[in-house]
Amino acid sequence: MSETRAQSPERLHQDFHAVWGNPTGWRALSIVNHTSIGLRFMLTGTVFFLIGGLLAMLIRAQLARPELPLIDHQTYNQLFTLHGSVMMFLFAVPMVEGLAVYLIPKMLGARDLVFPRLSAFGYWCYLFGGTILVSSLALGLAPNGGWFMYTPLSSAAHSPGVNADFWLIGITFVEISSVAGGVELAVSILRSRAPGMSLDRMPLFAWYMLVTSLMIVFGFPPLILGSILLELERAAGFAFFDVARGGDPLLWQHLFWLFGHPEVYIIFLPAAGIVSTLLPVFARRPLVGYRWLVLAVIGTGFLSFGLWVHHMFTVGIPLLGQAFFSAASMLVAVPTGIQVFAWLATLWTGRPLFNVPMLWLVGFLVIFVAGGLTGVMLALVPFDWQVHDSHFVVAHMHYVLVGGMLFPLIAGLYYWLPHFSGRLPSERLGRWGFWLTFVGFNATFLVMHWTGLLGMPRRVYTYPAGLGWALPNLISSVGSFVMAMGVAMVLLDIGLHFRFGRRAGDNPWQADTLEWATALPPAAYNFVSLPACTSRHPLWENPALGQSIAEGRHGLPTIDHGRRETWGSDPLSGQVREIIHLPGNSWLPLYAALVLTVVCLSLLNGAYALAGVAALATLGILLRWSWVNGAHPLAAPDARTRPGDPPLHSRTFDGPGLWGMGTTLLANGVLFFSLIFAWFYLWTVAPNWQPPARSPLPGLALLLDGLLLGAIVLGFRWLVRRLRRGNHRRLEGALWMLAALGLLQAAGLSWVLAATPLAPTASAHDALIAVTLGYLLLHCALAPLFTALQAWRVRLGLVGERAPYEPAVVLQWWDYCLLTFWASYFALVLFPRGIGA
Amino acid sequence: MRPGHPLQLALGLIVWSLWLVAVYAGLSLGCLLARPGDGLPATWLNGLLGLFTLLTAAWLFGCAWWLWRAPPPALAARRFVVRVGAAVHLLAALATLFVGLPILTLPPCL
Repeated sequence: MSETRAQSPERLHQDFHAVWGNPTGWRALSIVNHTSIGLRFMLTGTVFFLIGGLLAMLIRAQLARPELPLIDHQTYNQLFTLHGSVMMFLFAVPMVEGLAVYLIPKMLGARDLVFPRLSAFGYWCYLFGGTILVSSLALGLAPNGGWFMYTPLSSAAHSPGVNADFWLIGITFVEISSVAGGVELAVSILRSRAPGMSLDRMPLFAWYMLVTSLMIVFGFPPLILGSILLELERAAGFAFFDVARGGDPLLWQHLFWLFGHPEVYIIFLPAAGIVSTLLPVFARRPLVGYRWLVLAVIGTGFLSFGLWVHHMFTVGIPLLGQAFFSAASMLVAVPTGIQVFAWLATLWTGRPLFNVPMLWLVGFLVIFVAGGLTGVMLALVPFDWQVHDSHFVVAHMHYVLVGGMLFPLIAGLYYWLPHFSGRLPSERLGRWGFWLTFVGFNATFLVMHWTGLLGMPRRVYTYPAGLGWALPNLISSVGSFVMAMGVAMVLLDIGLHFRFGRRAGDNPWQADTLEWATALPPAAYNFVSLPACTSRHPLWENPALGQSIAEGRHGLPTIDHGRRETWGSDPLSGQVREIIHLPGNSWLPLYAALVLTVVCLSLLNGAYALAGVAALATLGILLRWSWVNGAHPLAAPDARTRPGDPPLHSRTFDGPGLWGMGTTLLANGVLFFSLIFAWFYLWTVAPNWQPPARSPLPGLALLLDGLLLGAIVLGFRWLVRRLRRGNHRRLEGALWMLAALGLLQAAGLSWVLAATPLAPTASAHDALIAVTLGYLLLHCALAPLFTALQAWRVRLGLVGERAPYEPAVVLQWWDYCLLTFWASYFALVLFPRGIGA
Repeated sequence: MRPGHPLQLALGLIVWSLWLVAVYAGLSLGCLLARPGDGLPATWLNGLLGLFTLLTAAWLFGCAWWLWRAPPPALAARRFVVRVGAAVHLLAALATLFVGLPILTLPPCL
C-alpha cells in the first residue's frame, strides 16, 4: 500500500494543493478543512473568553468595596449569568474542541477528520448561537437567572420577557455544535488512524479526546432536552416544572446536572490530555504509566456521570441517596490522583526543561490539586450544607476550571504556536504573563475561599460594611485585575510573535508525536503521504519521518484522481481497511446554520410560522448534504484505486458514516431516555402528579402501529442482508414499498396524536405524553423520507451492488425508531396499566 | 464477549453505572411504595440494596479475575485491552463496594 513516488516533491505538493487548497476571499466561508475550522473555533473562543473576562472585571469592580453603586442588581444578575454561560458554553468546551479538531488528524497521521462538513456546520452553529446569546447583553435583555437557570425562577411567571429564552435557545444552538464535534472526533479517532497505530500506540491526547467526545455525546442531550421542555413551558404553556400542574422543579435540576457535572470533566480531560502530551516532551522521557493513564481517563469519564446529585445536596434528598453521591464524588479523586502521580513521576525521573509551557503546567499542578482537595471537602455532605451557594463554592469552581483548563490550555497554545505561525514566542513576555496570571489568580480565588467561609453568599450585587467581607473582597478584586494584566501580556506575546518571533524550524521542541511531522504551518492536507506507525513515539524513533513524508515515500501519495482521501483503519489494531474519501469545500454547512439561525430568531420573536418554514428549509439543505455522498458525481463517481490499495469506503459496508450515524443515535437515544426518565421521575416524585384513572392513549391503535413498524424494519433488514450478499434485484421497488408503508405508519401515529384527548397545558402527565408522541412522529416521518431518497438513488445508480453502503446507514435509523417506539409503548401504555393507574 | 474485545475497556464501568442508577432508583421506589420504618438504622430495603451491591461487586471481581487469567492474545493491542479491561473491572468492583458502603449504616428514607 505504501508507495514511493518518483515525482518531485514540489510538483506533488502543487498537485495536492490543487485538490486540498483553501479558497480565499468570501469563498473562504465554504472551507471545511479541519485546520481552518479548528483555528476558527479557537479564535472565536478567544473572543468569547475576552467578553466573559470583561464581565468578570465588572463583577469584581462592583464587589471591591461595600455598597458600591457602580452596577444595579438587575444588571449584576445579567453579568454573572452571562459570565458563567459564556465561559462554560462559549469558551471552555468550544476551545478544547477546536484544539482537538485542529490537532487530532495531525496526531493520528490523517489528512482530515472523517466528516469535514459536520465540523464546519458545528463551527457556524457555535458562532451564530454564541452571537445570539451575547447580543442579548447589548440589547439589555441578557439572561439573569444564573448559568444553571433553575426553575421556577426561570419560568415565565418569575422571569417574564425574553431574557431566559435567549439562554435556552442560544445555548441549545451552541450545543448542536458541541455534539457535532463529539461525534466527529469520536469516529475520527476510532476509524482514521495511521496504519499500525493500534489502541496501545495511540497518542494520549487522542485517548483523552476519545473519552471526552463520548462524554459529550452522552452528557449534552439531557440539557438539550431540559432546554426544550423549559422553552415549551415558557412559550407554549406546557407543564413540566410547575408543581401545581403535576410537574417538579427538581426535574430541571436533575436534567441540568446530569449534563453539568460531566461538563466539568469534559472541560478538564482535554486539558489533562495537553498536560500528558507536553510533560514527556519537556521532561525528555516517555510518560510514566501509559496504561495507568488510559485506565484513569476511562475511569474519570464514567465516574464523573455518577456525581450529579452532589450539586443538589440541599434540596431534600434521602440521606442514603446523598451518601451514594458523596462517596462517588470522593471516588473520582482516585483516577485524577493516578494522573497527577504519573505526571509527577515523569518529572521526577526525567530531565525537565522549564520553558514557558512548562511554567504553565507547573502552575496547573499547584492550582488544580488545591481545587481537587476543596472538591473532596465539598463532597462531604455536612460541609457542603455549610458552604452551599457561598463564595467558597465559587472559589473552588474557579480553582478547578481555571487551574484545570485555562492553565494547560495556555501551555498548549504556547507549545503549538509554531504550528499556527511557524514562529516561537518571546520567553520574557511569556514568563511575565505567567507570573502575573498565577499571582493574580491566587490573590483572587484563594482569598475568596475565606470570603465564603465568612458567610458571603454568591450572586449578591453588594454587601454592607462591618461583616468582615470588605478586605477579602478588595484583595480578590485587585488580584483579578492583576490576572487580567497577565492574560493581556499573554495575548500581547502571541500577537507580537506573528511578526517578531524567531523562526521555529522543524519540530522545535523535539517532540514525539506526528503533528510535528507536518510543515510549519501545515498545508491543508497535513501529509502528502501517510506514514505507518510502529511506536508510541514515532518522531523519537525516526526524527527524519517528516522529510520522507514530504517526499511522498509513504501511503496514498497520489492525487491525480482528484479525491480528498485518508486511510480508514480498524478501531483496535489500526490496520488499514479502506480508503475514506472526503468531501471538498461546501456552502451547505453555512447555509444550514444560517437557516437554523432564522429558526432560533423566529422562536425568540414568537414568529412560529416562520420558524416552521425555516425548519423545513433546514431539512431540505441537510437532505441535499446527504445527497452529495458516495457515488454521486460531486463525491466519488470513479471508484478506481491503485493496485494493492483497499476499496473506497462507500464501496464497502463499513465506512465512517455508519459509525457516525450510530454515534449520533447514541446521543439522540440519551435525549429520548432522559425524556422517559422525566416521565418516571415525575410519576414517582412530583407531589401533584395526577394520572387519569384510564390512560387517554388508544392502546390498540398504537399496538397495531408498532407492529407495522416492526414489519417494515424486518423488511429493511432483509433487504440489507440481501445487498450484503451481492443481490440487488428489485432493490428500488422494495425501497419504494417500504417508504410507502413507513408513510402509512407515520400517518397512523399522527392519527393517534390527534385523536388522543391531551391537555398538555393543564397537566405534566399529558404534556410528557404529547412530547413523547411528537418525538416518535418526527423520527417515524423522517424514516420513509430517507428510504424514498435511497430508492431514488438506486434509480440513478448511486446505490446498488457497486455502492451498497447507504441502506445500512438508514437501517440504523429504522432500528432506532423501533426501539424508541416500544420503549415509549412500555412507559406510556403498559406501565400505567401495570400499576393500575 | 472475548477477553480482547475493545468493549472490555468500558464494560465494567458500564455495569457500575447501571448499578448506581438501579440502587438510586430502587431506593426512591422502595421508599415510595413500601416505606420501611423511619429512623431504623437498617431495614429490609438496606438488605435488598446491600445484597444487590454485593452480587454486582462479586460479578465485577469475577470478570476482573477472568480477564487477568486469560491467555494473552497474540496481537499486542488485544493484550493491552485485556490488561486495561481487567483493571477497569477491578476499579468498577471497588467503586461499587465503596459507593455502596453507606447502605450498611444509614436509614434509607430519611
